Amino acid sequence: MTGYLLEIGQAALALLLAPGLVGFIRVVKARLQGRRGAPPWQPYYDLRKLFGKEAVVSRNASWLFRFAPYLIFATTVVVTMLVPLVAAPLPFDAVGDLLTVVYLMLLGTFFLALAGLDPGTAFGGMGASREMTVAAIAEPTIALAIFGLAVGAGSTNLGQIVAQTLSHPGAVINPGHLLGFAALFIVTLAETGRLPVDNPATHLELTMIHEAMTLEYSGRYLALIEWAAGLKLLIFFSLLSNLFLPWGVATALTPGALAIAVIALIAKLALLGLAVALIETRIAKLRLFRVPELLGVSFVLALLSVTSSFLLR
Amino acid sequence: MNSNDAIFAQLATLGSSLVLLFGIALLWRRSLSAYVRAFRWQSLALALTFALIGYFGHNRELYIVAAILVVLKVIVIPGYLTRLYERVGGKREAQPYVNIATSLIIAGLLVLLSYAITRPLVTVSKLPTRNGIPLAVGLILIGVFVIISRRKALSQIIGFLVLENGVALLAALGTYGIPLIVELGVFLDVLMGFLVMQILVYQIKDTFESIDVEQLSRLRH
Amino acid sequence: MKFLLLLLPSLVSALCAYVVRPYRATVGWLNALLSLLSLGAALAFAGHAARGAEAPVFGPGELLRADGLSALLMVCVTAASTLTLFLSPGVGTETKYTQAQLRRYQLLINLFIFSMLSAVSSNNVAIMWVALEATTIISALLIPLTRSKSSVEASWKYILIGSVGIALAFAGTVLGYFDFVALTGRAENALNWPVLLQNAPAMHPEVMKLAFVFLLVGYGTKAGIAPMHTWKPDAYGEAPPALAALMSSALFAVAMYAILRWKVVADAAIKDHYADNLLLALGLLSLAIAAFSVAQSRNYKRMLAYSSVEHTGLICFGLGLGAAGVFAALLHLVNHTTAKSLMFFLAGDIERKYESAAIKQVRGLLKVAPWTGGLFAAGLLALVGLPPFGLFISEFALFRAGFAQQHPWLMGAALLLLLVAFVSFITRLNGMLYGEAPAEVGAGETAGWRVAPMLLGLLVLVALGLTLPAPLDTLLDQIVRIVSR
Repeated sequence: MTGYLLEIGQAALALLLAPGLVGFIRVVKARLQGRRGAPPWQPYYDLRKLFGKEAVVSRNASWLFRFAPYLIFATTVVVTMLVPLVAAPLPFDAVGDLLTVVYLMLLGTFFLALAGLDPGTAFGGMGASREMTVAAIAEPTIALAIFGLAVGAGSTNLGQIVAQTLSHPGAVINPGHLLGFAALFIVTLAETGRLPVDNPATHLELTMIHEAMTLEYSGRYLALIEWAAGLKLLIFFSLLSNLFLPWGVATALTPGALAIAVIALIAKLALLGLAVALIETRIAKLRLFRVPELLGVSFVLALLSVTSSFLLR
Repeated sequence: MNSNDAIFAQLATLGSSLVLLFGIALLWRRSLSAYVRAFRWQSLALALTFALIGYFGHNRELYIVAAILVVLKVIVIPGYLTRLYERVGGKREAQPYVNIATSLIIAGLLVLLSYAITRPLVTVSKLPTRNGIPLAVGLILIGVFVIISRRKALSQIIGFLVLENGVALLAALGTYGIPLIVELGVFLDVLMGFLVMQILVYQIKDTFESIDVEQLSRLRH
Repeated sequence: MKFLLLLLPSLVSALCAYVVRPYRATVGWLNALLSLLSLGAALAFAGHAARGAEAPVFGPGELLRADGLSALLMVCVTAASTLTLFLSPGVGTETKYTQAQLRRYQLLINLFIFSMLSAVSSNNVAIMWVALEATTIISALLIPLTRSKSSVEASWKYILIGSVGIALAFAGTVLGYFDFVALTGRAENALNWPVLLQNAPAMHPEVMKLAFVFLLVGYGTKAGIAPMHTWKPDAYGEAPPALAALMSSALFAVAMYAILRWKVVADAAIKDHYADNLLLALGLLSLAIAAFSVAQSRNYKRMLAYSSVEHTGLICFGLGLGAAGVFAALLHLVNHTTAKSLMFFLAGDIERKYESAAIKQVRGLLKVAPWTGGLFAAGLLALVGLPPFGLFISEFALFRAGFAQQHPWLMGAALLLLLVAFVSFITRLNGMLYGEAPAEVGAGETAGWRVAPMLLGLLVLVALGLTLPAPLDTLLDQIVRIVSR
C-alpha cells in the first residue's frame, strides 16, 4: 500500500517540480546573459493561463491532433512512476525497466511528430522530419548508455542498477560508467530540445525542431504538451543523476530517507540545470546537418561504454 | 589481484580510453587545426599513461619514454604540423570520402572488432594493464581508417601518427614497454618519417597547387 | 671484423657524397669500388655459412649475426648494390641530372644500401624493423629526384602505404614480444631471433597467429604482396632507374627475408599450417592480380613492376610449401634479384632513347639499339620463366614442391595465371622489339660500356639456369635446415 502511495507521490512531485525546473534554467540563462529574466515560477503562471484559454483547432486536423497531447502527457507521467526519482526499488519495477521507459518516451515522441504532421502545415511537417532525424540516433543511444550500466548490474531494472552502483561506489570512475554518462548527457540535450541541438526559445523556421511540431497547439493542449516537455527534462536529469551518482536515493521507505531523497533530487536537478544553462549560453546551435554527427559521437561513446562494461566484467 | 593492482588497472584503462577517445575525436571534427589539437591531447594522454605504467610497473625507462613522447609528439610534431597547414593552406577537410556520421559508426564497429580479435591477448596476459589492449588495437584500426577515408594529405599524416600512437600504447599495455634502445630507434624513425612526409607535402603543394589527394590520380595502368 | 667490412663501405660512401660539393664523377667511381668490399665480405660470410660453421656474432647484446639466411641475402643485396653503383647516373656517362641531384642521389642511395645491409645482418628483430623503416624513408626521398607531378604522386603513395605497412609490422613485432613477456617476463635480449625461436614452441598459438597476420600484412606491404602492392607500379615507374632496380631486387628480397624470419618463429609456435596457408592464399592473389594487370598495362616500367608482383606471388607460394618449397623460393629470390635489377636499367636506357615510357611509343628496338634490345628481350624472357635462364629452374623446383605437397589445384591455377602473364609479356615485347622505329629516335646505343656489366649479369643468370653451383646448393641446404626446424 505504502508502495503505491509512494508511486503516486513520486509522480505528483515530478509534476510539481517540472515547470519549476524549466523556469530555473531560464532564469539562470537570463542572469548569465546579463538580463534579469522572469522569476523561476513563471512557467506555473503560464500553465495556469493556458489551461484557462480556449483551444483553437485547425479544420484540417483529425482526432489525432486532439488525442496526442493527452497521450504524451499520460506516457510521460507513467514514466515518472517507473524511474527511480526518490526511491529504489519501486513497486512498479516489475513492469518498468529500461526498455519500457525508452519505449514509452519514444511513443510520446512518435505521436508528437504525427501531431505535427496532422494539420498539414509546412512547419509541422518540417519539425516532425527534423525530430525523427534526431530521435533515430538518440533513442538507441539512450538504451545503450544505460545498458552499459545494466550489464554491470546484471539486469535492466532501473532500481537494480541504482542498488548496484550504491553497493559498489568504486565503479563510478569506471570508463564504462563515465562514457555512459557522457553519452547520456549529449542525448539529454538532444531529446529535450536544448542547445546545441534545438533552441527551446525560438520560433524561427531555420532553427526550431520541437517548437515547430507544437506550433499549431493552443490552450489546454499546449499546456499539456509544455508540461510533458518539462517532465521529460526532469526525467532525463534524474536518470543522469540517479543512475550514475545515486547517493541520496532512498532505499528504505522511511520518512527520513524520503525527505533526504527529495532534497538530494532537488539539489541534483539544480546542479544539472545549472550545467545545461551554462552550456546553452556558451555553445551556439549546431547546423542541422551536423546534429547527426554529434549524435553519432554520443552513439559511439555509448557503444564503447557497453563494450567496456561487458568485456571488463 | 590486490587493491594496488586494481587501482592500477582502472587508471590504465582510463588512460587508454582517453587516448582512444581523442582518436575518435579525429573522425568527428573537420578543421585541420582541430585534428592537430586532438593529436596533441592524445599524445599527452599517452605520455601520462606511460608514466603511470612506469610508476606502477616499476619500470623507470618508461619515464624517459614519456618525456620523449611529450617533447616529440606534443611539442615538436604538432608545431611542424601547424606551420605546415598554415603554409600549405586549406584549413578544412571539407569532404572526406566517408561522411562524419558514418565514420563515427565505423569507428565504433572497429573498436568492437578489436575487442573480438584481441580476446586471446587479454586471456594470455597476466598484467593488470591487459584490459586496455583492445583499446590500443582499436586505435590502430581507427588510424588506418583515418588514412583511407580522408582527402587531405595532412589528415593522412595525422592518421599515420595516430596509428603510431596506437602501437606505442599496445607496447606499453602489453609488455610495460619495449627495450629502451628499440624505443629510441622507433622515435627516430617516426620523426624522420614525419619530416619526409612534410617535405613531400610541400612538394605536392608546389607541383599540384593543392594538397587534396584526389588530384593525385594521374598514374594509371 | 667482417661485419665492419660489410657495413662501413656504404656509410663511408654516403659521407663522401655528402662532403664533396659539388658532385664529381670520382665520388661515383669511389662509391662503386667501395661496394666491392661489401660484396667481398658478403661472399666470405656465405662461404663461412656454406661450410656449416657456427654463425658469427658481433656487437653488444649480439646485435649482428650472420647465419646462412643472412649471408645469402647479404650476397643478393651487395651484388645488386654493386651493379647499381656501377651503372648509376653520373658514373662515366652523360646524364640529365644536375650536380645537386647527383649528390643527393649518391648520398641517399648509399644510406639506402646501408640500411638494407643492417636489416639483414641484424640479430634483433626490432632493429631489423628500424632498418626497414629507414629504407622506406630514404627511398621516399629518392623517388622524386626530378620533381614532377607523377613522381611526387608516386612518392606520396609509396611513403604513406609503406609507412602504414611498417607500422603494422611493428604492431606484429610488439605482439610477438608480448607473447614472450607473458611467457617468461621481460628480458633484454628477448627480441633476438635465436632467443625467440628457442622459446617459440612454448608460445601461445592464438597470440602468434594474430602477430603473424600483422607481420605478414606489414612486411608484405614492403614486399609488394597483393593486395598491398598498389604502390609498386607507381613507385617503380617514376623512380630513377637505378633506384627502381635496387628497390625491385634488393629491397624486395629484404622484405621477404623479414617475413621468412618471422614465419619460422610463428610456425614453431603455431605448430600447424596456418602461416603456410596464409602465404599460399596471398601468393595466389598476387599472381592473379599481376597476371591481369599485365594484360592491361600500357607502360613498360609499370609492366616490370607487375612482373615483380608476379614473382612475389611465386616466392610466397614457395615459402608456404614446406622445405623443398623454401629451397625453391630462395633460389628464385637469387635469380629474380639478378634479372630484375638488369631490367630496370635497360628500361631506363630505353626511356632515355625514346623519351617515353609508353609501350606503344617504343618500336623497332632491335634496329635502333641492338644490344639494349637484345638484353631487354633476354631479360624479359628470363622473367617469364623460359629456359635456359635460372628462373625456369627455380619455378620448376617450386611447382615440383607444390605437387609433392598435394596442392595440384593450386599449382594448376598458378600455371594458368603464369600463362596469362606470359602471353601478355610476349605480345608487348614483340611490339617493342620489331617494327619501324619512330622517326625522331636516332640509331645507336645509349648504354655504351655499361652493356658489359649487364651482359655479365645475364651470363650469371644463364649459368644458374644450366647448373646449380655446389656452394649455392650447400648454402641453400643449410638455410632450409635453419628454417625448417
